[in-house]
Amino acid sequence: MKDKVVAIMSRVLNVPAGELGEDASPDTVKNWDSLKHMALILSLEEDLGVTFSDDEIAGTLTVRGIVDIVGKKTCSSP
Amino acid sequence: MSMIRLSYSEIQDFLNQADLSRLAHLKIAILRNIMIEPITPYLRYLAYQVGFNGEIAFGEYDNIFQEAVGGQGSLLRGDTDYVLVFTALDTLSPALSRTYATLSAEQVALEIERVKEYIRNVLTGIRTQTDATILWHGWELRAHPALGILDSQSAEGQNAAVYDLNVILKGLLPSVGNAYFVDLNVCLARLGAAQFYDRRYWHIGRAPFTRQALCEIACEDVKFVRALRGKAKKCLVLDCDGVLWGGVVGEDGVAGIKLGHAHPGSAYHELQQEILNLHSRGIILAVCSKNNEEDVWDVFRKHPDMVLREDHIATSQINWRDKAANLRQIALDLNIGLDSLVFLDDSEFEVNLIRGALPEVAVIHMPPTRPAEYRDILASCGLFDMLTLSGEDRERGAMYKAEAARKKLQVQATNLEDYLRALQMVLEVRFADEFTIPRIAQLTQKTNQFNLTTRRYSEDDIKTLAGSEQSDVICARVSDRYGDSGVVGVSVVTYEDETATIDTFLLSCRVLGRGVEAAFLAQVLRRARQRGARRVIGEYRPTAKNGQTAGFYGKQGFIPSQDSVEGERQVFLYELNGDAKAAPSFFKEIKSEVDRQLETNT
Repeated sequence: MKDKVVAIMSRVLNVPAGELGEDASPDTVKNWDSLKHMALILSLEEDLGVTFSDDEIAGTLTVRGIVDIVGKKTCSSP
Repeated sequence: MSMIRLSYSEIQDFLNQADLSRLAHLKIAILRNIMIEPITPYLRYLAYQVGFNGEIAFGEYDNIFQEAVGGQGSLLRGDTDYVLVFTALDTLSPALSRTYATLSAEQVALEIERVKEYIRNVLTGIRTQTDATILWHGWELRAHPALGILDSQSAEGQNAAVYDLNVILKGLLPSVGNAYFVDLNVCLARLGAAQFYDRRYWHIGRAPFTRQALCEIACEDVKFVRALRGKAKKCLVLDCDGVLWGGVVGEDGVAGIKLGHAHPGSAYHELQQEILNLHSRGIILAVCSKNNEEDVWDVFRKHPDMVLREDHIATSQINWRDKAANLRQIALDLNIGLDSLVFLDDSEFEVNLIRGALPEVAVIHMPPTRPAEYRDILASCGLFDMLTLSGEDRERGAMYKAEAARKKLQVQATNLEDYLRALQMVLEVRFADEFTIPRIAQLTQKTNQFNLTTRRYSEDDIKTLAGSEQSDVICARVSDRYGDSGVVGVSVVTYEDETATIDTFLLSCRVLGRGVEAAFLAQVLRRARQRGARRVIGEYRPTAKNGQTAGFYGKQGFIPSQDSVEGERQVFLYELNGDAKAAPSFFKEIKSEVDRQLETNT
């Protein structure tokens, strides 16, 4: 799942997957601003079939955080 | 929607990697009172599909008035192509949007009047700064209006107010010209409110729309680009088995195929009705099917539930050859480009073959297990949309049938001159008037092949040119023993001192190869002489499509001039000192308003 998430992030942020380590965040990735974050959430939702709550959208700002949340959502869904 | 097969992230990836710099630029400025930036990938991708490199610039959030009327910022410029305006009611009028039930009828009326003034000022402000096409997005009806079921019972409901605003906007747009209403209600209807609004991002960042809504809106916007830039498709090429009817006629027989008013044949019946709608809008129909030809025509002639008849089909390729070769032949027969074709087929194999072999052909795949969706898939493609519907459009089917008859005569005639004489052509040359202006604008928007300068004009542009003292808009109509081809030629000529410049000279592909261009040009030259011009300048601006006109002015006795710019424009000169140019002799009659004016002048 992590690879899938990072691949989507790489496409949307236009950054090589290798630069998206677990701790990567808007502070460390230049392209990752609030508009790109929105594009990212919309893309993850479409490509992975998950839905983020508004708190998760605003509060999930590292690669690790996003992978964790997506992992939980895809495991618990039937 | 059906024309996008990539996900949002794949589109962004494509745009990040692709080099679109060789495409023509399309500068889009967006005035908005909401966050709508995430629409960018969809707009750019769809513009790319139509052949443009979309460059998108956003005004500041909720600064529409300042930028349009105050001229603040550098968003609107002389070279802006499109201005998109988003005025969400939530921000524009929180009272009408959120607290409607607390307002008195007078307060509602006052607020509507305020919005009306706002629209008027913004429109004028935009037009002062740029001639760009304005696409103003109207207001969506409420899924849950403020007064509940009472809302729909009188003219005082919230949705009645929203409806009024849309009517007001539609009424004001024509006042600045080249401005169109984008109906968000049809976008909303396609998706439903639950799929259209994303309340999470409304609260986080004042972005009201879902990803699906943004895609739907971008599709709607780009339909205008397609229509205005001459990129609308002209011909629908139909497969038969599994598309026009269920089953295989070669095996099941005419009586055994699925086609009728009840399930399972009704899905095909409804698809045919939609195809007939397109035919009535002027879309040419062709058939491309792997079948024995007689079997297919048997269905067209004998099946009682066929909506489409043989008369509707302009040309066909019914054989066992590969469909790429057949599509090329269809384009050739109709004298249109491959990029004017839409290919409709249920076979994954055929669809992929065409996508690979002829990428310029638009392809619609009908999923064979879901015929119930066929009608909606075709209706939603948006590839054929035009902004005008002229009488010619409705007649086009008959015109192409006449074309087939002409081809038969051509086979019988021994030489071209005899053939043309046998056609008994009548050319009618007239100045643009209220009846012909829509068709003239449409021809400038659609004609690609015999078009010397490929300048696209809106109806308003043509009205202005026709009304000006410094220019003429002249059109040509051709009929012959097989029927009336309608208005098929347009020339725009501007006059300055003793020079007439042919700004536009074009001919519909319907009448090419019949000497109409020479006869029409002779009339344009007569008119120039009448206007006191001593020389006429003709211009050829090369495009990917109009190569056949490169030698036109040379052949008509024009002399190449020094003002040409290699690859961009070639300029030709014609001195009006000798005898008037004679029209070809094979016309039965030439009726000309130019001649009539000559007579009244002398």
